This record gives sequence, C-alpha cells and structure tokens, in this order.
Amino acid sequence: MKFLNKSIEEIHESLKNDEVTSQELVQESIQKSKELQEKCNAFVTIIEDAKGVSVTENLLSGIPYGVKDNYSTKDVLSTGSSNTLADYVPFFTATSVQHLKDAGAVMVNKTAMDEFGMGGTGTTAHTGVIRNPWDVTRMCAGSSSGSAAAVAYGVYPYALGSDTGDSIRKPAAYCGIVGYKPTYGLISRYGLFPFASSLDHCGVLTRSVRDAAIVVDTMKGQDKYDMTSWDSSSVHLFEATKKPLLGKKLCYIKELCDIKNFPDATDELKDHLANFFKTVELCKELGLEVEEVSIDQTLLNASASVYVVLSCAEATSNLSNLTGIIFGKRGEGNTWKEMMMDHRTKGFSPLIKRRFVIGSYVLQKENQERYFKNAARVRRLLVDTWKNLFQTYDAVILPVGIGPAKPLEGSKEMIGKMSEELQALDEHLQIGNFGGFPSITIPNGFVNGLPVGVNLTSNCKEDELLLNIAYHLESKMPYKGQTCEVKKNEL
Amino acid sequence: MSKFTKEMVDDYAKKLLISLTDEENKMVLDEFEYIDESINVINKIEGIEKVEPMTHTLDDFTFELREDEVEESIPIEELLRNADETDGREIEVVKVVGE
Repeated sequence: MKFLNKSIEEIHESLKNDEVTSQELVQESIQKSKELQEKCNAFVTIIEDAKGVSVTENLLSGIPYGVKDNYSTKDVLSTGSSNTLADYVPFFTATSVQHLKDAGAVMVNKTAMDEFGMGGTGTTAHTGVIRNPWDVTRMCAGSSSGSAAAVAYGVYPYALGSDTGDSIRKPAAYCGIVGYKPTYGLISRYGLFPFASSLDHCGVLTRSVRDAAIVVDTMKGQDKYDMTSWDSSSVHLFEATKKPLLGKKLCYIKELCDIKNFPDATDELKDHLANFFKTVELCKELGLEVEEVSIDQTLLNASASVYVVLSCAEATSNLSNLTGIIFGKRGEGNTWKEMMMDHRTKGFSPLIKRRFVIGSYVLQKENQERYFKNAARVRRLLVDTWKNLFQTYDAVILPVGIGPAKPLEGSKEMIGKMSEELQALDEHLQIGNFGGFPSITIPNGFVNGLPVGVNLTSNCKEDELLLNIAYHLESKMPYKGQTCEVKKNEL
Repeated sequence: MSKFTKEMVDDYAKKLLISLTDEENKMVLDEFEYIDESINVINKIEGIEKVEPMTHTLDDFTFELREDEVEESIPIEELLRNADETDGREIEVVKVVGE
C-alpha cells in the first residue's frame, strides 16, 4: 500500500473508490512517522492512537496530516519545541486546526521545530537536531523543519507550518517541496504560539501548489479571536489553480540574482543562480513577461537587521507570559521573581536567551530610536519598494537562499557571518513578512544532488493570482509531488 | 576596548527575568560587537528619520467591539491542569504581598 506520497485529490479518489480506508491511511502514516523519527528526529509527538474517520465529499476528510508543535491542540502535548513548555497540554485548539478537524482531516503527529520558531536551522528543538531526509548530514532549515521533513518523506500530503521570517518557505526549498504563507490575516493566528505578532503567519507545506490551495482554503477565515484576520469568503484558492494563467508580468531583482554581485560565490551558489534563470526562461515560455529591476543595495542589505531587531523585540514581549506559574514547570525560589527567573533561566536554550538579550538591548530607552524605531522605518521603506513593484508586476520571482540545504556540521546558529550581499540573498524572504505579502516557494531543480526552490511573492490579498501563477509554473517542471528516500549519507 | 561589558549583558537579561551562566554571557558578549555593527546597517539609510515607523502589515483593519454577551467558557479544572501547584479552584503562589 502506498497512498500517502500522492496528492490530496488522488488520495481522496482512492478513499471514495474504497481502494483504501481512512484508518489504513492513518496507520500507514504513523508507521512512516516512526521510520522518519528514527532517521531524522522530525517529531515531538506521534499520536499513536489517532483514528480514521468517515470520508465525506470534503477533499481533506479521512486524510492524515501533521501539525507544527507551536499550534495549540486540545489534549495533545504542544511544546513549541521548548523546555519551558515540555509538559504543556492546551485546553483549546487553534482555530485553523479546528477548521481542518471539522473538515475531517486527521492529525497524526506534532512536528519538531526550532524553539518557538526562533531559528532557521532545525537544530534548536528541545528534542534535538532535525535532519534533512534527502541527506541526513544536511539541515532542513527552519523553523518548520519537522513539517518539511515529514512532507518530503511522504508521511502525509501536508503539514502545517508557521512563518515569521521564512520559516515555511525556506525549509520547503531545502526539502524539495512547496511552502505557502498566505497574506497576513487570511488564516487566524488564534492558538499559534506568538513569536513576533506583526510578522507571524500560519501556512502550509505540501508537495504541490494545488494541495496548498486546498488546505489553506480550509484553514482560512475571519475569526473573532484574531482581530487581524479578515473576511476572505470570496477567496477561492483551489478554483484559482484551475483557471488559465492569470498573470502577465513578473520581475526579479538584479542585486539578488546577478552572479557578478557575489565575487566569492561557491559552485553551489553559481549553479543555484544559473538554475534560477532556467526557471525564468520557463516563465517566459508560459507567456509571462519577466523583467529585471534594480533595488538600492543598502536597503536590501538592511533587511536582515530589520528582522533581527523587530523580531527579537516583539519576542521579548510575547514570551513574557512564560513564567512557570500558570503553566510550564514551576521554578524554585522563595519569591515570585526568583521562581519565574528560575523557570525562564532553566527553560530557555542559550540561543533563545541571546535573542532576548538583543531584544532587550534594542528596547532600552536610550536605544529605541536608533534601533527599534529605525528598524520599523526601514521596514516601511522595504514594503513600499515592494508595493511599488506590485504596481507594475503581478509577482516578484527570486531564488530561495544561497543554494541547497546547508551542512549541519558547523551550523551553529549565528547572526551574520557572511557578506552583506550574500546575507541579503539568503534572507530576502523576510520582506514577505514585513509586508504581510502572500508568498510561495516551489521546487525548481537540484544543485549538488539536493533540491532547491524558487519563490513567488505577490501583493497583499492577491493570493489567488499568486497560486495561479505558481500552479502554471510548477506544471512546467517535473518536481511536482516529489518525495525523497532516505538513502544518501545515512547515519 | 569593547563598549559592551559583562554587567551590561547581565542587566539586559535580568530585565527579562533571565539569568545567564558565565558561558552564556561570554557567548553573547563575544558576538555583541558584531551584532551591534550588523544591526547598525539600518542607520546607513539616508533620511531614515523622516519615515513613519511601520508596525502592522495591513493598514485597513476594521476594529469592531463584540457585543457584551456571556459566552461559553472553559471549565476551570481544564484551565488549572497545566499549573503545577493549585489549591481548589485557585493557583497557589508564594506570598506576594509585603515584599
């Protein structure tokens, strides 16, 4: 039996035709989860007693899926991959997960991630390093690392992720799958552990654009518990993927794509950018105009720093409720302050503490103007620049990162340590979070035997247009629906 | 000499109710000069002080107050089950008054 490496529509068909039952799918998925756990350490929890359900006309009914461990799931451990919440069992379910449950989808595991989403390597989960199933000596990127590994391994057709900087879209690229972060507010964040609220997005990792559309159609919707969510009842993503190509014009940014801008480029980067331009040619074959635009390099270089300042500052505030008093392991001490300090000191990993120190530093009264407020100002400049592009272009198309998955060895999460130009290329997806833009990564080939991705980003609330373009581009390439097999460099 | 000291790093952490081990403090301190230089890139942009800071992604939020109606709430036993120390319907803490 092998159904879980197929698309949602195909699995649904098989369920309807009684070729397989929901219960059999769930069992297969749990079995695959255990296999992957051995190899890649992708999960915090495997829900061994998950049960199949009756199949309805809903495409998601009866099909297993995974949930990133920073989504609240009633009666199921939800740790955010942090020691501070190692025993936390929520008493409510995140709105988007509830929507999936109502549709008949079956959650079979909670996926491991960088602690509270604050990392891009998959190496900071309290359950240990998460490995890339294409090559276990490489990282998945993060923070939705476990979700990306599981979908790439064929555990199920989709898993939920969250994206504050590129946490869905970069792991998707490193694992050769699709990662979609819709417009801010399309999906309710109620029940998602907050990291940086003005940048946090819910989204999904899948093996095809159409599957992403199907899942987000179900997850989305205005929610009285998230005042930033908006009425999207007229948005039909699945339908949008069935239409002929709606887009006309794309652009890419010279400073991020021209190899001449990276004098010390590795072979992987050279191949990655050359591969990107092949994808640009495919866009042209589809009938899209693709133009090169130029953006002020200083502004692009500032993006990564804007992200560090804003995300760390927001995180210090958001995570102040982790005290060990009303939930989490109670700390020791004679006063409330000592108890909270003990809980937080023992619970947070050193890397999270470093982010907190940065957040605290930029929020000091004497530093606020120079760092926090100026970062928010540069955020506006970047967003205005992108909005200006969207006046002329349907989407911006760019390579994801500086090549395929990076080796785990020597991957200690560091801030910076590469040239500003290279860092701008590695981290430009953050601009999608600054603006709340819908943004999708799809696989566009292989470099050094490992998958790489290309990203499309459109203006706010243009999700239908974005997925339509992505669907047509995906259809021009042979990577739709690909899974990996763990064979390379097995430990 | 670095403008950052061990004491400053400890102070930033302490304000968030976190203590750092000597090792953690050193890790942060070793990088702080670099981090500071790196985040300072935002100040290289000309005329930045004239731009209005951006705090939200969408500028068309509609704020509506809910009707003041009683809604279904979660049973208190469920709310308490994640707290390590409870007493009946309450969470037990050390004495706070008089500190």
